[in-house]
Amino acid sequence: MDIPSGAAPAGRMAGFGAWLGGIARLRDATLIFLAVCASWELCARLGLFPPYVLPAPSAIALRLAETAGFLWSHMLVTAAEIAAGFLLALVVGVLLAAAITFIPFVDRAIYPWLVVIQVIPKVALGPLLVIWLGFGFFPKVLISFLLAFFPIMIDTMIGMKSVERDAVFLLQSMGARNASIFWRLRFPNALPHLFGSLKVAITLATVGAIVGEFIGADRGLGYVLIFANGGMDTTLMFAALVWISVLALVFYALVAWAERACLRWHVSHRSESGHGT
Amino acid sequence: MSAAALVADAATAHAQVRLSGVGKSYRRAATTFVALEGIDLAVARSEFVSIIGPSGCGKSTVLLIMAGLVAPTQGSVTVDAAPVNAPLTNVGIVFQRDLLFDWRTVLGNVLLQAEVRGLDRRASTERALGLLAQAGLGGFENRYPWELSGGMRQRVAICRALLHRADLLLLDEPFGALDALTRDQMNLDLQAIWGEHRTTAVLVTHSISEAVFLSDRVFIMGSRPGRIVDTLAIDLPRPRTVEMRETEAFVRYQRLLREGIGHP
Repeated sequence: MDIPSGAAPAGRMAGFGAWLGGIARLRDATLIFLAVCASWELCARLGLFPPYVLPAPSAIALRLAETAGFLWSHMLVTAAEIAAGFLLALVVGVLLAAAITFIPFVDRAIYPWLVVIQVIPKVALGPLLVIWLGFGFFPKVLISFLLAFFPIMIDTMIGMKSVERDAVFLLQSMGARNASIFWRLRFPNALPHLFGSLKVAITLATVGAIVGEFIGADRGLGYVLIFANGGMDTTLMFAALVWISVLALVFYALVAWAERACLRWHVSHRSESGHGT
Repeated sequence: MSAAALVADAATAHAQVRLSGVGKSYRRAATTFVALEGIDLAVARSEFVSIIGPSGCGKSTVLLIMAGLVAPTQGSVTVDAAPVNAPLTNVGIVFQRDLLFDWRTVLGNVLLQAEVRGLDRRASTERALGLLAQAGLGGFENRYPWELSGGMRQRVAICRALLHRADLLLLDEPFGALDALTRDQMNLDLQAIWGEHRTTAVLVTHSISEAVFLSDRVFIMGSRPGRIVDTLAIDLPRPRTVEMRETEAFVRYQRLLREGIGHP
């Protein structure tokens, strides 16, 4: 047998090399960022464009520091909307996927409509949601949810359906019923698909919350953007954009971290271990 | 096929597994495709039989019908004289693909059998570790399937099929994806395991030498529609050895099987 002990140290070496490579890449990415900022700053100081079109990085940084408390409180509102919309999409998406997989009636009667409804740009439903639900927290959650749930449902459904026939046979020969086959085979088999869709869904949930705030709100980073836009306060707009970007990055990182924690066994996360032949 | 090689089925009087007039057809649009027709076969307790035939002849389907996993459209299946209408559970099945679950360790994969059946965890773990050690996988129990070679993975699948001491072992081309050397070793090991407990075993294979090496009897299938065209008893002493493959008797059995399948 040709595998284990020899492969592990080699794998660790490769891991260390990758880590060094990561540091080098990070250094290069930082240098590029600094170079872009420096030339942007230079252009702004030379007066190549007016500040209300494109403020200098230093002005944005200053404004970020001044408005930290103000934008922090608005960020919390947007973060709550994104989190609520995303979690709702996760629960509903997975439940719908399971229902479509196991209840033929749902597959026949409801699934086609879910696909048809998907064609409507959900952002366009925003004004209607404002009429129905007002200017509060919930309509933003709903838009965020509507944007995020479809990829979760589709990918989870594909994962649950794409199990090998013989694997089902194997479990049946052990006396397993449908519920047992679901938890032992279909659900774990769907996890890589589910997490793939969650990475798409979290960015869509962010878009949904911000757009919801555009349509009608009195708080949140999307509201700050519209508010700053009304006063031609481009610097504040950039500050809000920085917060939105950081928020989106943090959410994405959380999902990626959860994926790594849950899918150590999956082919996309195997790094240091030996490998079969 | 010579008269001496033809078997009057003495074993069938006390058959453990019996297929009578089993047929399987699929309806596609306006046409009916007959996959299997008039399959009669019986397997005695403690017997090792093989089903051999050209690819696409439906030999795997026969195995799945035996296991109650696929329903025949004609005929009947009985195991221990009881009709089979639902998936049999007192079986251990090994498929061509090892079907190990990537998210479970080697030990976890073997213990799947115990978990689904609700067997005692401690006793099962002990037995699983014993089986893995016997299969040359001692020390690998906490590895994941992707860390193993193809032959090792299939050994884990075999341990999983043996864990619950089933009455019947169904092997669907279990070594079909392995290289020739690994396959020879797996044949020796399978014979050793079978010799220990004499669990009734049905092996589906397309390897003539594998069928001769392992079997008491070989059912030869033809295709279009899939049917049994002949049965050959392999009267070689056990345990069989690698050297035995060079003997005149072994070579003669191989020739008879090859002629039976229709590839002279």
